[in-house]
Amino acid sequence: MEKQELEETKHITSVSLETQSMKTQINQESKFKEIRNVFMGIDIGSVSIKILLLDEQENIIERLWLRNQGSPIESSKKGLAQLKRQLEDHGILNKIRIIGVGTTGSARYLIKSVIGGDIAKTEIIAHAVAAIHYNPEVRTILEIGGQDSKIIILRNGIVSDFAMNSVCAAGTGSFLDHQASRLGIPIEKFGEYALRASENVTIAGRCGVFAESDMIHKAQMGYSKESIIRGLCDALVRNYLNNVGKGKEIEEPILFQGGVAFNKGLIKAFQEELHKKVIVPENGLNIMMGAYGAALLVKEEAERTQKMIGTWETKFRGFDLLHFDFETKAFQCQGCPNRCEVVSVYMHKKDEETGEEKKELVARWGDRCGKWAVY
Amino acid sequence: MTKIISFPSMGWSRIAFRALFEKLPGVTVFPPPPVTRDIVKMGAKISPEFVCFPFKVTLGEFVNMIENHDIHTFVMSIDCGPCRLGFYAPIQEKILKDLGYDVEIIPIQQDDLLNFKWTKTLLQLSNVTNPIMKYYDVIRCTRLALVKMSYIADITRLEGLIRCREIHKGDTTRVVKNLMDQLDNEWDLQVLHHFDKVIQTAFAKIRIKHDIEPLRVIVTGENHIVMEPFINMDIVRKFGEEGVEVHLANSLYGWILHKLHINAERKKLEKLSKPYIPLDIGGEAIWVVGHYIEGQNQGFDGFIHLYPFTCMPENTARGILEGQSPDPFYLPIQFYSIDEHTGYEGMRTRLESFIDLMNSNRQGNPKFQNKYREPSEIKAIYDKKVPLTNHSPLFSEVLTPFTNNLNILISELFNMKATKQNTKGDRNT
Repeated sequence: MEKQELEETKHITSVSLETQSMKTQINQESKFKEIRNVFMGIDIGSVSIKILLLDEQENIIERLWLRNQGSPIESSKKGLAQLKRQLEDHGILNKIRIIGVGTTGSARYLIKSVIGGDIAKTEIIAHAVAAIHYNPEVRTILEIGGQDSKIIILRNGIVSDFAMNSVCAAGTGSFLDHQASRLGIPIEKFGEYALRASENVTIAGRCGVFAESDMIHKAQMGYSKESIIRGLCDALVRNYLNNVGKGKEIEEPILFQGGVAFNKGLIKAFQEELHKKVIVPENGLNIMMGAYGAALLVKEEAERTQKMIGTWETKFRGFDLLHFDFETKAFQCQGCPNRCEVVSVYMHKKDEETGEEKKELVARWGDRCGKWAVY
Repeated sequence: MTKIISFPSMGWSRIAFRALFEKLPGVTVFPPPPVTRDIVKMGAKISPEFVCFPFKVTLGEFVNMIENHDIHTFVMSIDCGPCRLGFYAPIQEKILKDLGYDVEIIPIQQDDLLNFKWTKTLLQLSNVTNPIMKYYDVIRCTRLALVKMSYIADITRLEGLIRCREIHKGDTTRVVKNLMDQLDNEWDLQVLHHFDKVIQTAFAKIRIKHDIEPLRVIVTGENHIVMEPFINMDIVRKFGEEGVEVHLANSLYGWILHKLHINAERKKLEKLSKPYIPLDIGGEAIWVVGHYIEGQNQGFDGFIHLYPFTCMPENTARGILEGQSPDPFYLPIQFYSIDEHTGYEGMRTRLESFIDLMNSNRQGNPKFQNKYREPSEIKAIYDKKVPLTNHSPLFSEVLTPFTNNLNILISELFNMKATKQNTKGDRNT
């Protein structure tokens, strides 16, 4: 299992290493003459964690993608460890200084308090900001991630409308993952299978349960795997446009972001359904857009604060964080009949001089009334 | 022997419902406990899967009161309107009886309050034999309920306006809770007629930021969902704490006035939404569309529509609002379809993004006109030169209730005339 994940991360980094395009290239060691200030963007979703380092000239210095393991706290620690290793490999660990951390994704507040982030912004804003930087003309963003899908409409460079799937998870990455493993094909090949299909099969797209039972029936009737997968891609696109993109004007240029954008079958299905060109950010940047946006947002915030107050200091705990232990505790509040489950996160810190262990509360939430809340 | 009765709570409206029955001879009221997760779970377990969410919540409240508080008589409103609400009472009674509970649900007719069928329920509950005294009690109870529900509407409105301005977080929530408790336990009509001063003095103690222009949103949708803070995840408070001025469009008082045919506000909204929905299709559909158009004309920053997942009328309203955007409907809108889920994470993501969207909309949208005006209530409370006291001369104690009633009647009549003229003018142009 672990081996497979390592391979996946390698795959991503190798993809990024190969690229030599203007903005997305990884800067070589030789270019680092003096210490650079960098901003870190972390996008922690339900399936994976994405970390990206951005310097003050908005060049991407380092990036990584890891599948989530256990809790978000563990994954973020693993992510940071991996980042440190990558920086050492490139020999630039001592030549950068992290001066701002932005988090996004569904666990943004938790990660913000654990690693000491400066801002926590929603995925929608992060994706929109990143897309505007990638292509200033962009008017529509389709984003399909691990557990949710969104559509963002931009006009004149500002978000004018957005929608998230509020009803079901059909059409998200997890569902495709599940179906791929059920059909016995690796998820990376999913798109290729769909492109190879010769005939059209109609699969119900309204709901994941209907889609799955339809797929089983069609398989039993003797359709090939390829055409079933193509039918599934078509159904997901229909479902997405009806449920999430309901009534929204989808105008070009259209950016397709999120992990599912690796799936070529879905890109083709989108283009056929919309009769418009769908652009996927190059070099695997499509999955990094959230982290990219978070880094851009924290950079903006830092510049604004610098201008207003004159100073800016990050709350980032540094890579020492890897030696700290984090512990979560939950209890049921007895204050009212709601019986909210309150979760607290503690940090165990060892004082290097005295050797004493210190316990520090970094976050606490989960209550409705807000009397326990610590952010 | 007195009957112990109860009813669904619907947020703070439980105070008004309690006032309607508390002073009725022969009846003891058990105030319903606030809705909790367990109650929702209980109701959802025994409800049909695709029924609207308020059905599940109210049924859960009944089960909770039967099992934990030994109450067996409930009052529930019915009507013969276009939506499912009218049949809640008989179906809930049937479900509960099928499950073996000994229960009686007394219906109270609300489809047109001017036909006075609702008084039958009150007369039936009362154990007074003298017919004149019986009517006297009904009139007194109705007055109490009406007065209290008007103050509930005032307090919730001020809550939405003031929370975004408070300096110490949590002040408004505390003041509102104290005021509601005070209102719930006050039974003297003479005192109640001066309660607006109590409200103003209480709110005046909150320290606020002056001269700010916060974002303004209208929160509206299905009545029960909007008024019950547990099920809408207390969206009014969440917005307020993020510094957004909330205009809560629904109130029980407004609904009752509408049922008495004297709600000029709702009549105006009906006229506005006429091109899109020509008749009342149930729920709050026409008024939601009306509020949207009005909000857009008044330069609001956003619009929140809350509705139960399977509510037909509200879904229709949603379809109409979405179908007309971005032209002519350009006011940013967010829809929250609410059902059993209690997870707040998805809502928080959308709420925060919506606030960011409204902020950038203010700066970058050419269609947006800044028409912000400080609500007159803020001025009335905080710029008072004369200190507010509860003391008043002897005669006013007797006279004020009457003059108050008269004033309300005159202003409502005047409003109706004004709206009629307005709509005539619209037609001419």
